[in-house]
Amino acid sequence: MIRKIADNIISPLGLTSEKNYQAVVSHNSALSFYEDAFGLPEPCFVSLLDRQVVSTAFNGLGGTSSYSFFEKLCILSISRALINAAIDSQRTDVVFVLSTTKGNVDSLAINLESEAGYIGVSAEKIAGFFGNPNKPIVTSNACISGVCAQIAAIRLLLAGEYKYAVVVGADVLSRFIISGFQSFKALSYENCKPYDKDRIGLNLGEAAGTMILERVDKVDSDDWIYVGSSIHNDANHISGPSRTGEGSFRVLVDILKSIRKEEIAFINAHGTATVYNDEMESIAIHRAELEEIPVNGLKGFYGHTLGAAGVIETILSMQAIDNKVILPTRGYETSGTTYHLNLSNSVRKTEKQGFIKILSGFGGSNAGIAYKKGGYND
Amino acid sequence: MTEVKTVMLSPCFIKVDGMKIFNGSINDAYRTLINDYPKFFKMDGLCKIGFLGAELLLRCIASEDKENAAIILFGRAGSLSTDRNYQKTISNLNNYFPSPALFVYTLANIVTGEIAIRHKIYGETSFYITEENDPQMMETVIKSVFETSNPSLILAGWVDYETENNYLAELKIVRNQKQS
Amino acid sequence: MDNLIEQLKNQIIEVLNLEDMTAADIDSEAPLFGEGLGLDSIDALELIVLLEREYGIKLTNPAEGKAIFTSITSIADYVSRNRKK
Repeated sequence: MIRKIADNIISPLGLTSEKNYQAVVSHNSALSFYEDAFGLPEPCFVSLLDRQVVSTAFNGLGGTSSYSFFEKLCILSISRALINAAIDSQRTDVVFVLSTTKGNVDSLAINLESEAGYIGVSAEKIAGFFGNPNKPIVTSNACISGVCAQIAAIRLLLAGEYKYAVVVGADVLSRFIISGFQSFKALSYENCKPYDKDRIGLNLGEAAGTMILERVDKVDSDDWIYVGSSIHNDANHISGPSRTGEGSFRVLVDILKSIRKEEIAFINAHGTATVYNDEMESIAIHRAELEEIPVNGLKGFYGHTLGAAGVIETILSMQAIDNKVILPTRGYETSGTTYHLNLSNSVRKTEKQGFIKILSGFGGSNAGIAYKKGGYND
Repeated sequence: MTEVKTVMLSPCFIKVDGMKIFNGSINDAYRTLINDYPKFFKMDGLCKIGFLGAELLLRCIASEDKENAAIILFGRAGSLSTDRNYQKTISNLNNYFPSPALFVYTLANIVTGEIAIRHKIYGETSFYITEENDPQMMETVIKSVFETSNPSLILAGWVDYETENNYLAELKIVRNQKQS
Repeated sequence: MDNLIEQLKNQIIEVLNLEDMTAADIDSEAPLFGEGLGLDSIDALELIVLLEREYGIKLTNPAEGKAIFTSITSIADYVSRNRKK
């Protein structure tokens, strides 16, 4: 069995998981309008980390300046999670798994041939900071990377290769990333509205999240335990979501083999607030006959944090159940999908102990993972 | 696990199961060996070599066998070659025209999506970035996919594209011995 | 107008990587999306960039593109009426 033993979220809403959870239940968001962020000719509505705050906290770790902002962010998040986990990252049975879509891509603006552009180089620097002797693995599956990194780590643990996995998901914004989404006409210039009838596009955001996982033989009643996961392709289009929700539907069908419907407190969905993504998810959830189960999406608080999304949204979902609540879908008011989902923009109560996290992204990729508190009943 | 078939693509040659079958550019290889998928020319270099390699391995396989296949690829540069090309469209604000057709290829996993679309593969598609072409590590990951999600077969291997003169694809079809 | 049509065909072949095609292969009246040339949503976005870069036309709402990008003739028509360069 695999359990989560520690976590951390670094975002504009705070430098710990607890601060982030408190911000979300208080309905706070750091999304705001920027006239010319990163020297972009067009304005954008994004959630940005304070570079100074992250660098100051990083310097407190005794780090040097030879790390990029992206690397500092990852290292800061990992180090905070490691303190709580109380494990020695230099052990040979610890593996590092990194989720990012673009890593140090901003370094290309200064030098197209920059070595920093190789994500594997960056991953080795990050794992090297902690003295880890193993080669790190990077999952590069666009927006679903954060769940894929958890799945990759869990598989390595279950295969007996390692006992502990440090899963970190992060992305920092840049002219590169924002201009690309602008060229796709995918961005909203005001707060995004997941699943709403007036949704027009997504907001981008910056964050890092870390989960430390452990393979164990026995679990306690308050442990978070992995129960199932799945990845499927739509085989439809490289950028447009499937009109039938095929991949996401198949993910949900797989996951329902490992968790009973009545155990699911909520589905924490992708909910980017683009017209097609949210519609696709509503179709997939309908096809999987899960419409009555509460659904939420957290992009209205953080924006789409790319490689971090799957990790931070999983951590926040765990905290919600720890506090017996379902987090609100900020920005949602009136259902705007063909199949109505069980959504709310305020905090709801739950007694259930499990949840499903799903994501979809470019490349036709879809992923999902389920966790349950307290392990197996039977 | 058993390797059913292998393919290797480099700027010097294309080999299937160790036998050299073609010499020449990627586009010429497409025209000679495939030539029925014009979208090929829209792809970036990483996708082209992955697509070609997959084509040579998968085209003889029945569609019912492919539906639940997995595509598990590894590489060092990922989408870096296209990242550089896209960066050129946004660096100069006096000539700033970010290209959506380039941007979509600035994700390493698009190659897995292109293959899935062509062959109607609905199974897992994953791209891993590692610094080294490490067969042992790849085998560990591939084995763990068989053990946890039971695909009919896995299209797996190394796909790395730097420039048109510097690329390597070493792909194979792997089946789980337990199944056969 | 014929010159503009010819020019547009060549520009579209280039930006959309319609390799192995020449301007003569493209029917000016044929649909660009679905059947005909079989273009997709990314091609449509790339055509928006083409209009801006070559003709100074800024389409902010991709939905506007739908009517404009029906055929080569419809694009030529729109460009000739709205071009800024």
